[in-house]
Amino acid sequence: MEEKKLTAREIIEGYKGPKLRIMEVCGTHTHEIFKLGIRSLLPENIELISGPGCPVCVTPVGFIDMAVELALDKGCVVCTFGDLIRVPGSMRSLADARAEGAQVKIVYTATDALDYAKQNPEKQVVFLSVGFETTTPGTCLAVKKAKEEGVQNFSVLTANKTMPKAYQALKGSADAFLYPGHVNAITGEDDCRKLAEEGVSGVIAGFTPKELLTALAVVIKKCEAGEPFFVNCYPRVVTAEGNIPSKRIIDEVMEPCDSQWRGLGTIPMSGLKLRDEFSEYDAVNKHGIEVTEGTPNPACRCGEVLQGKCKPEDCPLFGKVCTPQHPVGACMVSNEGSCSAYYQYKM
Amino acid sequence: MGETVKLAHGAGGKQTSELIEKVFKAHFANPEFTADDAAVLDVGSGKIAMTTDGFIVSPFEFPGGNIGKLSICGTVNDLACMGAKPLYMTCGFVIEEGFPLEKLEMIAEAMEKTAAEVGVRIVAGDTKVAGKGQVDNVFITTTGIGALTEGVKTSGAFAKPGDKIIVTGDVGRHGCTILLEREDLGIEADIKSDCAPLWNTVKSMLDASSDIHVIRDATRGGVGTVLYEIAAESNVGVRLESTSIPVDPAVAGVCGMLGLDPLYLANEGTMVVIAPAAEADAILEALHNDKYGKNAAVIGEITDVMPGSVVVRTEIGTETLLPQPGGELLPRIC
Amino acid sequence: MCVGLAAKVVGIKDGVAVVDASGAKREVSAELIEELEPGDFVMVHAGIAIAKITADDTEETDELMEMLV
Repeated sequence: MEEKKLTAREIIEGYKGPKLRIMEVCGTHTHEIFKLGIRSLLPENIELISGPGCPVCVTPVGFIDMAVELALDKGCVVCTFGDLIRVPGSMRSLADARAEGAQVKIVYTATDALDYAKQNPEKQVVFLSVGFETTTPGTCLAVKKAKEEGVQNFSVLTANKTMPKAYQALKGSADAFLYPGHVNAITGEDDCRKLAEEGVSGVIAGFTPKELLTALAVVIKKCEAGEPFFVNCYPRVVTAEGNIPSKRIIDEVMEPCDSQWRGLGTIPMSGLKLRDEFSEYDAVNKHGIEVTEGTPNPACRCGEVLQGKCKPEDCPLFGKVCTPQHPVGACMVSNEGSCSAYYQYKM
Repeated sequence: MGETVKLAHGAGGKQTSELIEKVFKAHFANPEFTADDAAVLDVGSGKIAMTTDGFIVSPFEFPGGNIGKLSICGTVNDLACMGAKPLYMTCGFVIEEGFPLEKLEMIAEAMEKTAAEVGVRIVAGDTKVAGKGQVDNVFITTTGIGALTEGVKTSGAFAKPGDKIIVTGDVGRHGCTILLEREDLGIEADIKSDCAPLWNTVKSMLDASSDIHVIRDATRGGVGTVLYEIAAESNVGVRLESTSIPVDPAVAGVCGMLGLDPLYLANEGTMVVIAPAAEADAILEALHNDKYGKNAAVIGEITDVMPGSVVVRTEIGTETLLPQPGGELLPRIC
Repeated sequence: MCVGLAAKVVGIKDGVAVVDASGAKREVSAELIEELEPGDFVMVHAGIAIAKITADDTEETDELMEMLV
């Protein structure tokens, strides 16, 4: 071949083949892709769809309602990642609850919430455990430590999710997936390899400009070749087997359960809850609250946006009553949400 | 436990006088500091600029300063942005019952020192004491007047396509400092607030160039917010070069940990300056020779594209919109 | 979904690593990585080191592009 070697960017910009729909599953990918202006490099026949990989976006309204109840009615100190503070519940967000006097504390990691509980034995501390396989080991470490140390005033409200069943639900939404690199750092390559065997194509992608462009170039080249494929484009972080101690601690502390995804509905066995031997650390049991589904705004189309079935601007609320300042749906709250990204970057 | 401020200190009687004598007069003494109901001042014959600002900051002491220093810098810098030499200031204190006197003295001392640096005089003050829990330690409001420099006319509405955008220092340091102090995030970084009184810095720019269009203090909301304001007020576009924006490496590290953008973090000693391209070098040179302008840089330019918007040229050469800042800054983690 | 931070391990003790990202330091859990030493680079997510990594993405992306030819 005399053909000069093309750069990743040239491959992307020069793509002239049939229409390609690529879904970036991970919200951090969505965020970085917008921030780096990568969409402006894409030719018209490549469409990037923002998938459901933002824990804030897929956390159901009822979860926020329960967190608010714990904070306001049960007087717990609710510790959370900053991301969740502004997510609207049925009646109020955690920010609203805080304005009404609830104690809501931002933490960087689950064990910070545990440490806070240990320092304040007179307070009941609840950590809001959201996130995918990447985030879950942190919660498990904290719960396990709490049990070992006999900490009595700490519990977690779980809405942890796992990706494999979600991929099944998303099958057909795109020609290829950019898999969430940091989830795969924990889970390894197996799930994605299996998907390729089932005919679902995708690559594990990293997050730097080079990594994102390279992953897209690989997708394009492999799609052109026509066979279902899987490539690990993030080998400096993701190994074939993943992070075994993380998988082990998840398995030790949590077990699969059905899980409700905002917008996607309940996906069987797509969530994680504490195992029975840790049930004293489950905030729902400990504080005797009702599990509620909440009442999302019926006009909100976040669900279809998350599945790539419609674009944010197709939603009647988008940019009118639903803005980053006054979000209705979760996709507008998180900086990683596709509605927020579309709104802020005016795509 | 040392002496603390009591409700009686704010009652207007003997103890109030004592507090004023001991703390405020001791530090703010100057010929114009009034014992009467109002200060009587000579402000010359030209135009004056006047501004007021309230300061609540938690914690009231932070690496690089305290609320006292901040309360002087804020008002001095607001005046300086108009090209006004700060002349006189007043300050109003609301102090929480039980606040340590020693800390109050420390605050007054910082105010004295900061004011002296730019030659502004504190001429009147007020002290109120609020019950425990009614305020958070101490709140300060300062009001200042300054003499406008002849021929200088700056405004957020004066940016023109082709102008260069300069920041007078690296961005986001104050906001980052406060975030680390306040949020108990367990992150350690050698970062000090940029809190500084910038009149001398502005003066050196005005001496170097007589054609500066905009000077704006990039406080709350940071440089990103200020640029959106200017884009709207001047009805122009803004284009930033992402790789030219000076950011302290440790600030960048903290922002990386928390998913934040330094462009939205507050500054208390960094300004956005907009001037014709031909003036940029002279202004930059003046800044680089100033003690607070060592990290000054040209970060972009004013355009006629997409008025009201801020576009960023990214590290890979693409262009993308800078998201409009809004709401509380929250760490993004999961 | 999972903001990651590449950082250098500057200290390690009892399952806790101190990582440094251009001058910002924090204690993170090192319990989920085997054989971590000062000088190693790790990917950190929400206070947990989740993978030992190479600091730079150049080699990785170069190799992938080679593969495409």
